[in-house]
Amino acid sequence: MTTTTATRKLTIARAMAEATAQAMREDPAVFVMGEDVGPLGGVFGNTRGLHDEFGGERVRNTPISETAFIGAAVGAASDGMRPIVELMFVDFFGVCMDAIYNLMAKNTYFSGGRVRVPMVLMTSTGGGYSDAGQHSQCLYATFAHLPGMKVVVPSNAHDAKGLMTAAIRDDNPVVFMYHKALQGMGWLGTEKGATVPVSEEAYSVEIGKAAVAREGRDLTLVSLGAGVHHCLRAAKALEAEGFDAEVVDLRSLVPLDRETVRASVAKTGRLIVVDEDYHSFGVSGEIIASVVEHDHRLKAAPARVAYPDIPIPFAPTMEQWALPNADKIVAAFHQMLRND
Amino acid sequence: MMTAITVPEDLWEGDGEGVITAWLVDDGSEVAQGDLVAEVMVEKAQYEIEAPVSGVLTIAKQEDQVVAKGTPIASLEA
Repeated sequence: MTTTTATRKLTIARAMAEATAQAMREDPAVFVMGEDVGPLGGVFGNTRGLHDEFGGERVRNTPISETAFIGAAVGAASDGMRPIVELMFVDFFGVCMDAIYNLMAKNTYFSGGRVRVPMVLMTSTGGGYSDAGQHSQCLYATFAHLPGMKVVVPSNAHDAKGLMTAAIRDDNPVVFMYHKALQGMGWLGTEKGATVPVSEEAYSVEIGKAAVAREGRDLTLVSLGAGVHHCLRAAKALEAEGFDAEVVDLRSLVPLDRETVRASVAKTGRLIVVDEDYHSFGVSGEIIASVVEHDHRLKAAPARVAYPDIPIPFAPTMEQWALPNADKIVAAFHQMLRND
Repeated sequence: MMTAITVPEDLWEGDGEGVITAWLVDDGSEVAQGDLVAEVMVEKAQYEIEAPVSGVLTIAKQEDQVVAKGTPIASLEA
């Protein structure tokens, strides 16, 4: 047996906590606020260990009052602090959207650039574990649609740590959307591919740069978050049929790296976008438009595998029917070939 | 010398079963005593398993497998 020195792997939850801890050690202005982020370490594990190390002054549990504590974070950020605030489920943005969109995203513009709002709003997305229509949405497009804030969506622990570090250091508000199935918490349906080797030292991943997760010639699959793992499984299945799929992991929605997507489709001529957010008016439509308004000489009409425009069902069989998966991606490609 | 990594008897309260949610090092790699090697989830709470000694890791229980207190989940060859 060959022996290798241990390569330390982290779950996304641990990677987020590590990035946050490192930022808190180097900058006293960084602090964390949210529901259950203290001694419990976050219901999704991403603030584990922080309360022990930094105490209740810098890792603050809040009541269930998102308008108040996200509003407070905007004020703190505007006054020189660097808050990291958690909206536990993105589904509940409705109760605090004024703080997010009319304050966090606009204060810099309204002040003529004199007020910076360097805060991170981290929030969980996604379903697959029967948590029904108010705890399972992705809502990527809802946030990416609104100008004034950056939006990142990691698919693995390496990117999660680097994007978190970049988000904390950024002088703009950054919405950090992490998919529950990638957190390494068993009850949420863990995706093993998200737990990858992560360097111990602090590093950042540039916000606004997509990654090519797999290179290929015949087809471009574009996705984000958990969808990247569906694409990688689909690419493996298509490889067995003799097709070579490229997988582009967007990593960031704002800014959106259209160049990487266009370069990939220019090479392959075929595009399928995979998104667990709703089908209509979303990321999938934006990606397709970004390609075809630039270059219409594709080998086939682009396709999308997205969440149907329905409230998310609680019943496991119904929810699984609605979610994107590798089989649906393979079927979309077969349909594309039939349409040729 | 071979040392088993077992689920510690005092890792969580009660006698409920857990599930391995993540191996944080690869099978066949060399780990040091005290390294965090795996996570076990019990009723939505997550617990950490450390290497009791240094050695080369051989994983016996994979992710998603059910474990109880005292279950051998891997071994370390020093």
